[in-house]
Parts: sequence; structure tokens; C-alpha cells
Amino acid sequence: MGKINKEVDHIAGLARLALGEEEKKKLGTELSAILSFVEKLKEVNTDKTLPLTGGTDLENEMREDKQLDKDLEGKQKNIMEQVPERKGGWVKVKAIFE
Amino acid sequence: MGLNELSISKAARGLRKKEFSVRELVSDCLQEIREKDDNLHSFLEVFADTEDEAKRSDEMLQANPRQPILFGIPLALKDNILLEGKRCTAGSKILENYTAAYDATVVKNLKRQGALFLGKTNLDEFALGSSTENSAFGPTRNPHDPERVPGGTSGGSAAAVAANLALGALGSDTGGSIRQPAAFCGVVGFKPTYGRVSRHGLIATASSLDQIGTLAKTVEDAEIIFAAISGKDEFDATSTDPGKSDFLEKSDFRNVRLGVPKEYFGKGLDPRVEKIIQSAIASFKKAGAKIKEITLPHSDYALAVYYLINPSEVSANLARFDGIRYGKSEEGKTLLETYTRTRAQGFGAEVKRRILLGTYALSAGYYDAYYLKAQKVRRLIREDFAHAFKEVDVIIGPTAPTPAFRLGEKSDDPLEMYLADIYTVALNLAGLPGISLPAGSVEENAKLLPVGLQLIGSWFEDEKLLAIAKEVEKIIA
Repeated sequence: MGKINKEVDHIAGLARLALGEEEKKKLGTELSAILSFVEKLKEVNTDKTLPLTGGTDLENEMREDKQLDKDLEGKQKNIMEQVPERKGGWVKVKAIFE
Repeated sequence: MGLNELSISKAARGLRKKEFSVRELVSDCLQEIREKDDNLHSFLEVFADTEDEAKRSDEMLQANPRQPILFGIPLALKDNILLEGKRCTAGSKILENYTAAYDATVVKNLKRQGALFLGKTNLDEFALGSSTENSAFGPTRNPHDPERVPGGTSGGSAAAVAANLALGALGSDTGGSIRQPAAFCGVVGFKPTYGRVSRHGLIATASSLDQIGTLAKTVEDAEIIFAAISGKDEFDATSTDPGKSDFLEKSDFRNVRLGVPKEYFGKGLDPRVEKIIQSAIASFKKAGAKIKEITLPHSDYALAVYYLINPSEVSANLARFDGIRYGKSEEGKTLLETYTRTRAQGFGAEVKRRILLGTYALSAGYYDAYYLKAQKVRRLIREDFAHAFKEVDVIIGPTAPTPAFRLGEKSDDPLEMYLADIYTVALNLAGLPGISLPAGSVEENAKLLPVGLQLIGSWFEDEKLLAIAKEVEKIIA
């Protein structure tokens, strides 16, 4: 059960979440409890079962690669207005590489 | 009686008979909102321009009285459904000031019908929860007892309909988020078959589970809204139209086969709720329906499967909230810090819990034991239903194991909260349509708390399910 407590740091890193120490402890406990709860799935024999891969049986739903949206008036402006850091029509981001 | 107390079908008739105008209808709703919603908090935002829209609707109706049935009908939208130009918060601080750049397909469809929107309703943050207590903007109260929760995550929509603030509402259902609040608030809540309604413009929670559906005062109203919003949409590759289905032409209840899963009446079910459901089943038998006990052997595992699949998909869907293209953005020295601080500040506790759980379940070394295993058991759960539907038309049982609980009663223990979903999650896992109808109430502290009956239909038999639900509604009214 204490396994996940040590791993909370690692998982939080993967999830891009900055957690405080108290928060990490609390979450570690809660997640351990939830993981214990889901352990009951081990009781089910799934040796011959394929996993479901989504909500639908539809496959390869294709369409022509052409613009469907007819009404794009002002949409780019709407979208750009939501961008926290921007310059003209560009989204500003910090350097990806050092 | 205020016009806000009308059902959609009655209001539509009244408008055409010129008994009242759209403006009066909208005005009565807004008046009720002003009187009740400071206390209930079902709306996160009430629009200022709906009365002007109503004036235009009246002019249009005057010029051409032959308008669709939803014309001029005031509805509410759960605040995870995009309405262009209006704020859409998903109940989260991270989207507190986000303005929708486009209309969800369901909104486009409703606009085409001439429906009006009163505002956006409260929800658990990112549709994660069972009580609307996880909203970053405060909970919604149950109109039947303000000390209790309205259920979640579509608590705002359910409360708005129950309190006659709107004539109908849209919600979303990932693990019961329309049906359970409908049960707690004593209204009708309908979740369609996965794929009947487009998810384009619904802020995604768990993409293989989410469906938009309707909260309404009657099954007929729920059906009216469903007809308007359903249909294959090019913008949602998982949406589809059903093939030919044989459904009840004339609702002859005497030929209906109702399945009662023995697993739904065990431990955890409040005996007062059980009494009401059993009494309803007895009425159906008396009305001539064939009642058959069935088994859904993997029912016990549905919650565990759900609480692995939902967080896994949530962890992927919420990765986009990183402070770069929209939403809250926290200052950081590096790009990584921008991400981690934005998300730490912007997300609430339950959201973080689910993201971490999902990230863990999908991570290298754990993927097979958790996520893959859950998807396998999910198939077994689906097969249980397929097997059952060979023998019955509709499966019935309680929507929730208890009536509405008190605010704060379960919010300290995540697992306790998850147990509220025990009868609802299996449908989302299987992709089945389901509807909750008010079946009676339980008295507690001089308040009458509603109890919901859930009907589960087979894949793409939404119309048949709704037809049977209408008969059921007449019997248990």
C-alpha cells in the first residue's frame, strides 16, 4: 500500500502537476485506498477476453479531407482572444529546449 | 401558476394558441430564478439577453406560426457544453474566464429549432463527482431539501428543472451524471445510447463514456429535446444513426418484458428505496408487463472498472489544460513550471485525484494490470447485458442506492462518494441508453426526498425505451 506514496512524486511529474507536501501525503493515502478497491478485478478470469477499446463498435470512420465548417467568420479572433500569452496571430510559449 | 411551471409540450401548445407570449414565458422563468436561485445556485450564469431573444422569437412566431415544437422554449445548458460567445467553465477555476469560440453541435441543433437558453448550470468540476459539491464555484442545493445535494454531476441542470427555473435542460452523463441527479431531484433524466448524440462541443471527460442527454419534467419533454439534439454528426466520428429498430408501435404494455437484476437488490440499497422500487414493479406486473428475474453476474465489478477507465481517459483529456492556448495560466520560470503550476492552481482536489489515478493506471508497468484488465472486464459487463437483452425488452431497478444525501456528508471520503454510482456506471461502460423517472419519495426530517426508477434499454433502442418509459410514467405517476 505504501508503494504509491513513493510513486506520487513520479506520477505527479508525468501528469505535470506541482503538488505540496501535505497534498502529496493526502493524495497518496486516498489513491492507495482506491487502488485497493479496484484490486477486486483480479477475481475475474479474463484469460480469454479481449479488451474493449472504446465506447463504440464503429471502426475506421473516415471522411473526405475538406473543410466542413461553413461559418468561420470571426472564429480565429475568438480563439486567439483566449490565448494567455500571444503576439499577433501567434501563441507565445517559453523555450522548449534550453 | 407561473408559466415556468409548464412542461415543454404544454408551453408549446399555449404559445400556438396565443395564451401567452415567448416573452412572458421567459420572463416567468427569469423571475423564478431571481426568487429562488440565490439560495439554490443551480445557475453559474444567467444570460442578460434572453428577454431580447424572446421578443425576436415572438415576432417570428407572429410572422410564421408554424415553428418547431421547441421554438421559444427556455432551456438551461450544463456548463461543459459550449455556447459561442458565452463563458464555459466546466465548473473549474482553470476555465473561469474561458469564452467558447464555437457552438456545440447540440446547441446548433437547438438554435435551429428556435429554442432559447436561459444560462449555464452548475456541475462538479470537469463532470467528476456525484453531488455537484466539486464545483469550484460552490455547490447547488436540492430544491426538495436545501441541506442536501442535488446529485451530480448535472446537479445544476436537474435542480433548475425541478425548481421550475427552466422548462428543460441539457446535461452530460459519463457514469450516471444525468440519471442520478434526476433521481435525487425528482425529474426525468435520459442518457442516450453512446453515439446517438454528438459530443462535439462537449468539454470531454471520458471520451468512451460521455454522452449528452436531457433533464426534463416529463418523458415526453425529454423525448422532444432528444429528437432535436440527436443524429450523426461529421464533427464526431463516434456518432451514428441507428439502423432499423423494431419498437413499440402502439405502446402495449402487456407485451413488455421487464428484467429485474437480482444483483441490484443486495447490500447497500436503502430499504426505503427498495420498497418504492418493488412497489413500482408490482404495479407494472398488475398492468400486464412480464416481470423476469435476470442476472448480470459482473455487476459487482462495474464500479472498479469505471474508476479505472474514467480516470485513465480523464488524465488524457485534461492534459490539454496547460496554460498555453486557453484558460488560466500561471507564471513559471520554465515551460514545465508553467504547466505544473497552472494545473496545480487551476484544478480542484477530485480532478487531481482522477488525473493521478489515471496516469498511474496507464503508466509503464501498470497498464496491463489496471487499464487493460479493466477494459477486459468491461467487455464481460457488456456481454452480461447482451445476454439479458435476449430475454427482456428493458431492465429496471433503482437509479441510486439512497435518496439525496446531505451536503458535506460524503465529501471527505472519495470511495464513499463513488458508491453513489453503483447502479448507473454499468450503462456507460456498455454504451446503453438509460432513463431515470421519479418513482416516489422517502420522508426524512419533514422533507420528501425523491426516489428514481432506472430503465435500461438495449443498444440504439432509445425510442423503444422512451415509449416504454412513457407507459411506466403513467403507471407510477
